Amino acid sequence: MITDYRYIGKPTLRKDAFDIVTGKAKFISDLTVPGMLYGKILRSPLPHALIKSINTTEAKLLPGVKAVLTYKDVPDWKAGARPQHVRVLDSKVRYVGQAVALVAAETEKIAEEAIRLIKVEYEPLPAVYDVEEAMQPDAPLIYEQFNANVLPPESRAFGPRTLQEIVIGDVDKGLAEADFVVEGTCAYENIPNPLPPETPGVIASWEGADNLTVWSASQGPHMFKVTLQPLMGGINIRSIGSPVGASYGSKYMSWQFVMPAAALSKATGKPVKLCFKKSEHLAAFTVRLGSRIHGKVGMKKDGTVTFLSGDWLVNTGAFSECAQFMIAVGCGEAQLMLRCPNWSLKPKVICTNRTASGQVRGFGGQELKCALIPLLTMAMEKANIDPVNFFKKNYVKPGDGYYWRDGEWWVCQGTDYTRAIEKGAETFGWKEKWQGWLKPTAVDGARRRGVGVGVHGNADIGEDVSEAFVRLDGDGKAIIHCSLAEHGTGQRSNICKMVAEVLQLPLERVFFTPVDSLVNPVEIGPVGSRGTYAIGNAVIAAAEDAQRQLFEKMAPLFKVTPEDLETSEGMVYVKGKPGAKLPWSKGLHYYGACLGRGRFEPDFSKPNFMIVFSEVEVDVETGKVDLIRVVCATDVGQVIDPPSLTNQLNGCLGSGGIDSALFEETIIDKRLGRIMNANMIDYKWRTFAELPEMELVVLETPVAGHRFHAIGVGEIATAPGPSAVLMAVSNAIGVRLNDYPLTPDRILNALGKVNAAKRRGKQ
Amino acid sequence: MKNFAHYNARSVAEATHLLAAYEGKAKLNAGGSDLIGVLKDRILPDYPEAVINIKTIPGLNTIEENDGGINIGALTKLVDIINSPLIKKNCPVLKETARTVASPQIRNVATLGGNLCQDTRCWYYRYPDGIGGMIKCFRKGGKTCHAVPGENQYHAIMGAKKCFAVCPSDTAVALTALGAVLTVAGTKGTRTLPVEEFYTPLGNMLALDEMITSVNIPKPDPAAEQAFLKFTLRKPIDFAIVSVASVITLDQGICADARIILGAVAPTPVRAHKAEEYLKGKKLSDDTAAEAAMLATVGANPLSKNIYKLEIVKTLVKRVINSGSCLS
Repeated sequence: MITDYRYIGKPTLRKDAFDIVTGKAKFISDLTVPGMLYGKILRSPLPHALIKSINTTEAKLLPGVKAVLTYKDVPDWKAGARPQHVRVLDSKVRYVGQAVALVAAETEKIAEEAIRLIKVEYEPLPAVYDVEEAMQPDAPLIYEQFNANVLPPESRAFGPRTLQEIVIGDVDKGLAEADFVVEGTCAYENIPNPLPPETPGVIASWEGADNLTVWSASQGPHMFKVTLQPLMGGINIRSIGSPVGASYGSKYMSWQFVMPAAALSKATGKPVKLCFKKSEHLAAFTVRLGSRIHGKVGMKKDGTVTFLSGDWLVNTGAFSECAQFMIAVGCGEAQLMLRCPNWSLKPKVICTNRTASGQVRGFGGQELKCALIPLLTMAMEKANIDPVNFFKKNYVKPGDGYYWRDGEWWVCQGTDYTRAIEKGAETFGWKEKWQGWLKPTAVDGARRRGVGVGVHGNADIGEDVSEAFVRLDGDGKAIIHCSLAEHGTGQRSNICKMVAEVLQLPLERVFFTPVDSLVNPVEIGPVGSRGTYAIGNAVIAAAEDAQRQLFEKMAPLFKVTPEDLETSEGMVYVKGKPGAKLPWSKGLHYYGACLGRGRFEPDFSKPNFMIVFSEVEVDVETGKVDLIRVVCATDVGQVIDPPSLTNQLNGCLGSGGIDSALFEETIIDKRLGRIMNANMIDYKWRTFAELPEMELVVLETPVAGHRFHAIGVGEIATAPGPSAVLMAVSNAIGVRLNDYPLTPDRILNALGKVNAAKRRGKQ
Repeated sequence: MKNFAHYNARSVAEATHLLAAYEGKAKLNAGGSDLIGVLKDRILPDYPEAVINIKTIPGLNTIEENDGGINIGALTKLVDIINSPLIKKNCPVLKETARTVASPQIRNVATLGGNLCQDTRCWYYRYPDGIGGMIKCFRKGGKTCHAVPGENQYHAIMGAKKCFAVCPSDTAVALTALGAVLTVAGTKGTRTLPVEEFYTPLGNMLALDEMITSVNIPKPDPAAEQAFLKFTLRKPIDFAIVSVASVITLDQGICADARIILGAVAPTPVRAHKAEEYLKGKKLSDDTAAEAAMLATVGANPLSKNIYKLEIVKTLVKRVINSGSCLS
């Protein structure tokens, strides 16, 4: 096997690096289109209400205003995971911040002033925020069609057998076999915002009867052809992507900002730009799912899990963006973490009156795991099992099977991650630091150290189809035709490396077409860590196909067979005869480009893996938790670009990841239904000034199925962190904690230092 | 943002006369780090008609030693306070406090006067108009404080009656500990006012036509130990959940004088009088520190979600007494 690659595994300059750091890169907020108008959204003040009347007269009279739309005059487009239930504008509002009216005007300022001139009368309805309260018979009904506010299971997204629960084996048998049985409730309900630095933004331009051009900062712009076209009456969408100021999964579905802009453009006949403010991003865009498990686990003395049963209550907020899809993936991922013969885990997706939950990296799996692992640790504690040994024993191994999102039984053909776990534990110093359950690693006065560990993995590195073309031009250049958005990770640059490696071309001579659905074949996008394996495979296949065509064209010139040829630097050589060479131009001229075609077919047989070790220090006199050290360990088959990988793994901080255990949370006043911390001071996000010590352990056990033996791990860095920190803090303070975030009030409360009797007078 | 008239004031007299002319509908702007956010989010029921830039007034950004102590102009930037050898030598507690404010970028523009006069961070008060409309509360002429039945984890645990927002200024806590006195100018002349008396339950003592021009810090006893501790979730950026400043004079291990000020617990900085009195004449020890810490919370009346702040107050008071100094 070749391991001495020219680009693969070596750090190379990101192709867009200079453009980004010099401000030349054009993000969506930098783009303008001739004749463009600016859109603004009037947002609901109430969490649940009927609109009795809307008066737009004054707003329409404001000079510069081109359109004011209400539920009465927007197209009847419906979105949301099925059945579609979210209208662009509706006569009922279901969360504070929901769109009530849309304005398009010549300037942003005029649009903002016009919004303030719209008069709305509401009939308030009672609101509900808790999943279990929402299912009560007397709870306010958020959608008439969803009885008890429970959404129906999804039956189509991932095929006719789409996974919507884990039911395997016989739980009663598992109960009989268990040495220990624990039961409890664990929850991950602080609904952190993934919070990419760039707010959601779009320019929509309606042309003629049914053509819509969309420029957007979407993670998967091409998906609009698949998801939005049918929802918008079968129109033709041309989707053009811009560089994405990060997404973390959240800017994928994107109809929440695309549809309002499209409606305004349709009404005005002009392009309309709609960029959210940070407060809208925080208070009216999607957050993580809320996740609560009432569960029961049986375990043997050796850490074998005999059964797992329970109800998984999923709070999706005011609508389901794709909650049932996320459940499918979450249920698959739970099985990767746990080799258990008897399951009965029944999810329910429930609507409540807060800003909706949607797609975020971790996609159901993180939300599930952050509640499921604490439940499992209750059993580990009883059985006195070291969690590292537990994860080592229970993480999916080659030959093990699992039901994936499509409801099919897949058998693992990937890597055995035992070595990654061992190497991570060794780097972290787990053996020295682990003192047993609910025991601190060290105590220094009021400061107590504790350690914890969590795991995650998905089998989505091979999800969905990718198609790509690679064009070889006579002037010795390769052009990749693919609608892969640059969502911040450097993936476009890294795909160029793969093509440069295949064709042995200088990296500067490999180009990427702009992200444009008119130019490129279908691309689902860089989700589920599929960039390296799925997209990479399609592009590599296209490059190989193009090279094959090149050799077929040029073999007669050398009077050899195509198999005798090789290429480098835009020259074709006869193998073993360095003197026998011709430039590509001799075969391709200026008119005869080779167009190679590549395709990747879905394959869910190769789970990836991440284990996160964390050490925390808790000040038991203030309740403050400091994250001291983090070790992430994984096995990626082959590193494509070391700095990109480092950045992805360091991304376990932020984006609703490890810090959602500590302070990332969306705080809702349940009397008003309002999000109180919709600004970057009150929404706590770790700053660069206080990063913990980070160490990354990356093994490279070659994986079959990819020319460079590589798999992706980008998405999964965040998911193991929260439960690892929860475990570490519990151990530090000697008190078991079963939910998040671990803010000082909750720590002091757990330590019995918050005496409710001290509260006097006020309620 | 909406349009407003903008003035570059060339003198204190011009600024105060403009304030008077606009009858409360003008805002002063120095560093702008607080005001711009207030305007952009449109949190106030009335939008100002004018913004008066006072950075253009000469002579208000100096730090000088005089007979009475140290005089700091109101337009002195926080970064200059942090870098001043005079402040470092005489009032390290102020230096330490200024250092904990926000981030370097903000400290490079934010002024001492602005830090003292900034508006509260209460998230009901600050709720952005764009997400369903600003929240009318007691502080804005409404009838209720939404924090009382609502999300009050950062709100007042003592000294509040109708509005439970806390004073966000860190420097006010240190300046109260140092016994600093403000010089305030208005259209009718100037007056002085101790920082300790500057804040009111809904804001401060400035009349419509007044502005702070300077802060005078009486020269502290060189033997006094000065300390400041600020408790936040994140080290940079965050406003205090609780802060404590102390100036303690020891005479052969016995406390001769003590000033202990609590920040972010009430609408104003709070002097822990009972703790101060208790410490005087006592030998400082873990036990006396613990007793003083307990006394500092006497009279507290926390809300549903902020009882934990009492524990943090006690811890910080104990620690400022034990650590004794912010030079360590």
